Amino acid sequence: MRTIYNRFRIGLTPQRVLSVVFLIALGYLVIFPLFLMAKETFIVHPLERFQIPGSSIGDLTLSHWIRSFVSENSFTFFYRPLLNTLQIAFGLSFLALLIGGTLAWLVVRTDIPMKNIITNAAIIPYIMPSWTLALAWIALFKNERIGGDQGIFTALTGVSTPDWFAYGLFPITITLALHYFPFGFMLIGGALRNIDAQLEESAELLGASRMATLRRIVIPLVLPAIFSTFLLTFSRGLGTFGTPAFLGGPVREFVLSTSLYANLIGGRPGIGYLAALAMIVLGVLVLYMDHKIIGTRRSYVTISGKGARAGLVALGRWRWPIASLLMGSILAVIVVPLGALAIDTFMLRPGLYSWENFTWHYWIGEASLSVGLGTGEPGILRNPELMSALGNTMKLAVVVALITGILGVLVGYAIVRMRGSWVSQALDQLSFLPYLMPSIALGAIFLAMFAVPRWPFPSLHGTFTLLVIACVVSYLPYAVKAGVSAIRQIGPELEEAAIMTGASWWTRMHRVIIPIQKSTYFSGLLLPFISVTRELSLLILLVTPTAQLATTITLRYTDRGWYPYTNGMVLLLVVIVVTCTIMSRRLMGTNIAKGLGG
Amino acid sequence: MPDIVLDGISRTYGGSVKAVNDLTLTVPDGSFTTLLGPSGCGKTTTLRMIAGLDMPTSGTIYIGDQLAFSLERGRSLPPAKRNLGLVFQSYALWPHLTVAKNITFGLEVQRVDKIETARRLEEVATALQIDNLLSRYTSELSGGQQQRVAIARVLVMRPATLLLDEPLSNLDATLRMDMRVELKRLHKETGATIIYVTHDQLEALTMSTHIALMQSGELQQFAPPLEIYARPANKLAAEFLGNPRINLLDGVIASGCVVCEGLQLTLSPGIAVTEGEKITVGLRAEELRLHPTPSPSWAEAHVTTALPTGSDWYYHIKMNSKTLIVRQNDTPNLQPGDVVYVEAIPDTLKLFDSNGCALIVSSA
Repeated sequence: MRTIYNRFRIGLTPQRVLSVVFLIALGYLVIFPLFLMAKETFIVHPLERFQIPGSSIGDLTLSHWIRSFVSENSFTFFYRPLLNTLQIAFGLSFLALLIGGTLAWLVVRTDIPMKNIITNAAIIPYIMPSWTLALAWIALFKNERIGGDQGIFTALTGVSTPDWFAYGLFPITITLALHYFPFGFMLIGGALRNIDAQLEESAELLGASRMATLRRIVIPLVLPAIFSTFLLTFSRGLGTFGTPAFLGGPVREFVLSTSLYANLIGGRPGIGYLAALAMIVLGVLVLYMDHKIIGTRRSYVTISGKGARAGLVALGRWRWPIASLLMGSILAVIVVPLGALAIDTFMLRPGLYSWENFTWHYWIGEASLSVGLGTGEPGILRNPELMSALGNTMKLAVVVALITGILGVLVGYAIVRMRGSWVSQALDQLSFLPYLMPSIALGAIFLAMFAVPRWPFPSLHGTFTLLVIACVVSYLPYAVKAGVSAIRQIGPELEEAAIMTGASWWTRMHRVIIPIQKSTYFSGLLLPFISVTRELSLLILLVTPTAQLATTITLRYTDRGWYPYTNGMVLLLVVIVVTCTIMSRRLMGTNIAKGLGG
Repeated sequence: MPDIVLDGISRTYGGSVKAVNDLTLTVPDGSFTTLLGPSGCGKTTTLRMIAGLDMPTSGTIYIGDQLAFSLERGRSLPPAKRNLGLVFQSYALWPHLTVAKNITFGLEVQRVDKIETARRLEEVATALQIDNLLSRYTSELSGGQQQRVAIARVLVMRPATLLLDEPLSNLDATLRMDMRVELKRLHKETGATIIYVTHDQLEALTMSTHIALMQSGELQQFAPPLEIYARPANKLAAEFLGNPRINLLDGVIASGCVVCEGLQLTLSPGIAVTEGEKITVGLRAEELRLHPTPSPSWAEAHVTTALPTGSDWYYHIKMNSKTLIVRQNDTPNLQPGDVVYVEAIPDTLKLFDSNGCALIVSSA
């Protein structure tokens, strides 16, 4: 007994204490809410008792399951959103793969000029909020269905856009593909770059033609990256909220995420939480397929030899035309949408594109009952509500980036230093779990969990703290992944050498472990910062009218049809995010592409 | 400084894998003791337990008069309180600090004042001839220079004991020779106890005052190098030390002689054997001599391979079914297929019983 006690006391190392603390915290914040949410699908909520005859609040019921899956309304409640979701996810993954893969091959494997510029420009669509393009699409192609005014396209050509083109699944798929193709570009590009030239040279020495080499050597070698891209974009497609909300709303076309939102807001939380569960199940299925298909072949080990880079495919006289076309398209995806958004913010009466209609009102105008759309709404830059929302966003972004960054290092430290033990494995898997949950479902989970006081927290409904917790949990998988790989590069001896001198754990962390990987950690801060700045799906359920964020408030303005305000806010966010990315690259040499992983 | 005592140390991983098993060893004060053994024999684990970076599952460690570790008494002295320094196999130099900062890190942690720090830095830097490298970063150093910095970083703390974990394994052959000489000089100059871990028997033989030979987590023998070479405690010790590997022949005791494969050896008086007992004889390559003509106590063999090294010849010979390795430095060049007659002239007769334990001359 005494020996056991002594063993416990002597073995109380910092990494053991840390891992136990994190294990408990993550169990509380990740596992527990999952059960809680499952429970919510069997419970009668306040407004639901009118729909379920003879029930009272808090009763156990199967009616949510029945109504979702096997009633005459099931198609509206569940199956149609599910089918829409799958259709969008497949379509966008396929498109993203096609665009990203082609671009990657052109940049890595041909002698196309302006490679650097193309590479940098191709990442920008991903840095912008995912629904920027959706808003731009509306600005460009909207028709009379919403608010009676026309989009730029119709104004210029006089052709009215059909509904299927302006709203619904088609534009949702296109705009999401344009947002997510950088995944394909980066992952496939990376795989292509890692192929040892000697593998191709061997094939060519054996008499294979260039096409045969591409088909039988190169493509099979990048196959894992292709699968990774597909599954990554697919799972993003499942959980995305902003784009389907903006583009699907006007034609009442729902996907799982928007249906979840509509049901939660509309007094049917039981059905809403079921949609969230369905999304999580789909997410797990995708990961399972990922394991099945790719499994151990995640990346082929291509031992890089000394052989020179394989000869690049010469594009000949097509070199410049193709490059110009590429640059043109990329710019079109960046400049045209942003331009369209910008123009919209300067048009006093929406849909009327002329110099007479030009105004600064939506940026700096005084509140007015007679001028402009938003009755009594001052211009963006002097609008206290919008500016405080932007302030909240920045505050949240900084707080979350710092906490996530620190947690990433500490959890990574615990995982790496405890390697081989079950604690390390459990921590690794627990911290990865939020990755599987579509972010709006994660938001729903935290809503369910913290709407009431729950030891040791008071009710966190509508508080800043709740937003922080949700963001931290949501971005933890990325932070931990970065932390693990950073700590793994610091051999344990580097820390042990400090232990030998008598340095305390704190001294070791801040004088050895952290300084060695400084720039890696800084990259680790950048990703959550940018993610928070443009986060909508995760937080839309958690904010309350009194404490809005820059992203969530845009949705409210969109609901009222006040697009100039929405568009102006999005432009501000894009400017902030892009500036931060460029600045941190300049200052610290960080690279956003590194933090993405796959 | 008194000795370092390991008393019944065991280290078990995951409940079943025994890295070190019931190790009892006294490292004499001021000695250059080498923990020698093949990889996975528990020598690095032992070193880390002495350093305090790893904890025994059972047993007691004394460093001098201090109880450094005892589970029963609930004591585990922190590494920094054990008055020892550890040089890692990978050197573990901090890449974000300059050489000078690497060396003075420990002094800063211990809050040694600036003047004293500067004085000690200069002292070790001069002693290890790295005073011109102090402002460099460690990535700008060669392997040998990194090695010196790693040693300086430890010496600056003035430890009573120096622990070295395979410090030469990352150096090329020439540098390794130089460093061996230097380490030996260091041992002499500092007077510190050195515990040195290696799998390289040549390093162990050339530098140590004592060798602790380990295998499968257990101590096989603890003795001065030449003692282990001449009188291995068991078959494992005999096989591990010596290059080329010792020849082991099965034999039997017959009328006061050892007879094996046609070879006859005279028994030294005082060895406790019984007539007809089956034993194993260990014969080192240099303890065999090849002759062109037969003699009664010699065995016939033929040469299978001849390996000249310049100063010596190594021959692989086949005696009945057994292949032996022989070192000759004065025989005429033999060719494969030549018939030779083998004479055994052991310095010390190395006999092992059926358990592999050495049969030694009883002191009586």
